[in-house]
Amino acid sequence: MSGPRRERRKADPDLHDPERLYVITGDLDDSERSALDLVTMVVAQAEPSPTFQPEQAAILRLCQAPLSVAEISAYLSLPFSVVTSLLSDLLATELIESRAPIVRATLPDRSLLEAVMHGLQKL
Amino acid sequence: MVRAESPPTDREIPVVRVVLPPVALLLGATGAGSALVAPAARIPVAVCGAIATLVVAVLSVALHRRRRAMRAQRAEYEQRIAYLEHRILSHDAETVRLTKEVMPAAIRRLRVGNSPEEVMRDIVDADAANRHLPKALREQIHQVLEVIDNEEARRDSAQRAFVSVARRVQAIVNRQASELREMEDHYGRNPDVFDDLLRIDHGTALIGRLADSIAVLGGARPSRQWPKPVPLFSVLRGAMSRILEYQRVDLHSIAKVAIVGTSVEPLIHACAELLDNATRYSPPQTRVHVTAVEVQTGIAIEIEDGGVSLSEEARARAEDMLAQAQAGINMNDLGESPRLGMAVVGRLSRMYQLQVSLRQSAYGGVRAVLIVPRDMITTGPAPGIAHGIGATSRPTSSLDMSQLQHVVPPPGKRKPKPAATGPVPSVAAPAATGAAAATSHAAPSAAAMEDDLPVVTEWTENGLPQRRSRGRAPLGSHNLPQQPPPTPAPANGFRPGADEGADDGRGEEKPPGLWLEAFTKAVNGVPQERKHGEDSDDAWDKGDLK
Repeated sequence: MSGPRRERRKADPDLHDPERLYVITGDLDDSERSALDLVTMVVAQAEPSPTFQPEQAAILRLCQAPLSVAEISAYLSLPFSVVTSLLSDLLATELIESRAPIVRATLPDRSLLEAVMHGLQKL
Repeated sequence: MVRAESPPTDREIPVVRVVLPPVALLLGATGAGSALVAPAARIPVAVCGAIATLVVAVLSVALHRRRRAMRAQRAEYEQRIAYLEHRILSHDAETVRLTKEVMPAAIRRLRVGNSPEEVMRDIVDADAANRHLPKALREQIHQVLEVIDNEEARRDSAQRAFVSVARRVQAIVNRQASELREMEDHYGRNPDVFDDLLRIDHGTALIGRLADSIAVLGGARPSRQWPKPVPLFSVLRGAMSRILEYQRVDLHSIAKVAIVGTSVEPLIHACAELLDNATRYSPPQTRVHVTAVEVQTGIAIEIEDGGVSLSEEARARAEDMLAQAQAGINMNDLGESPRLGMAVVGRLSRMYQLQVSLRQSAYGGVRAVLIVPRDMITTGPAPGIAHGIGATSRPTSSLDMSQLQHVVPPPGKRKPKPAATGPVPSVAAPAATGAAAATSHAAPSAAAMEDDLPVVTEWTENGLPQRRSRGRAPLGSHNLPQQPPPTPAPANGFRPGADEGADDGRGEEKPPGLWLEAFTKAVNGVPQERKHGEDSDDAWDKGDLK
């Protein structure tokens, strides 16, 4: 990929928390992610209880009003995959509900097909 | 003989007394003999008698002298023997004192960091009792001190080498960890890459813990400093993230306190070692339970596993190891035992006044209790509970709750998870709002392909997330103007009445639609999802696929 080099944020190690993301995500092997994307809307169905993981409780608190996955990710400052993993757990226990956003087209659109075609031609 | 004890001053009298009887006897005998014999022989007999008397007198005097001398000599020898015995006894006592008092004191001073010469001066020369020590003994003490000093220096340098290697590994691991965190943020949208990154991250954390252990065993303090207090929950999760089987650890009811920055790292490390012990020596299907409650002296962190119970003997051994490490003897004691964990915990608990005890668990396993002293705890503001959540406020978007509530579908109608492209039923918004809610279609499947779409990191002034600029044209310049309202797709919705196109494009009467539209545009800044921007599609196509 010749995409622009990802810009290097000058990571301040002091700002990081001691815990690593995989602890928040839980088990890597048997985690099956729901098909959520950035614009999927999430609504909480229950109040957070103290037994939840703090991140999940925070999601439930945030999602009293519908909120997109991207926003959750930004508010929690957690990467998208972590959020989807957390949301998958919550979805599995029916504590939240996810809804696709307002989408403008559902058919594979022409530009995408053209992009594929161009890509194939270049091979 | 009788007068053996007599003082030497009256020596003359005994000599006379001793000599007198034989002389008198001989004189008498001579007199009697010369009177009895014939007159012609009287003279020779008298002469012989006189000579014999003289000889006897001389002999007895000499004999007496010799006896006296012998007696004096014996007395002198006895005195000397007594003196020598006394010397031997005192020498023995000296040796004992040297071993029991002087040497330990000297070695103690040496350990504190004095040179052997200083120790000699302070211990041997400054002490009146030791000043008279013979030269050889002084030499001996000095040599022993020199040897100990050399050994100590060698051990120190070995430990320093250990520590410096460990420090370098730690530095690399820390850098790696922050790089990985960056990559995790960057590739957060691509679950496969992300999961692999997490695995690498986990492995790196394990290496880091090993390096920390080496440093601690080398007598150093943990290198990492946390500038701000960290909540106990985060500390425990930090500990979890450094062990192999972190999935088996359950955190229950963790007291809501924060740990002061300087104590965070040692506490994480000690907990990680205890957790590692707990997960390693219990069956893989059991779970390890962690609780943290406030007690009188601070916080008691209990780590309980459902493993094989520790026999009384094994427990004693483990506690012994702890105690030994707390005494901080040396690395040789570890031997080839791979169970560094207890030694590390012992060291840490000695350095930071933690108390550790191992007990029988009610579940049959081991219950390790770590008491964190009160001065490590702060009740001051900590950056939220885990990941700064508390610090970030709730979204302040201008969403109108009353309108949004309509969007919530009835319970039980979850979107089918595996079918990403399938249409999803939803509930239309009531007509009172003037616009229908969106018909929910599944997420565009193209989203999964955008693995280098950056995470949303910036916010526009109306509270919308905005992608970070990546050197491309600004968001609005190539995206917004050429984006007509999307065409409705009536054939796909379960509810044909819900026409999302109508309110999507001009969402001023429908706030959710409006912001979602803007949001979608912002998110889909990578033009592969765009429907009507063919020219820039091509540009993207060429730029990215080559």
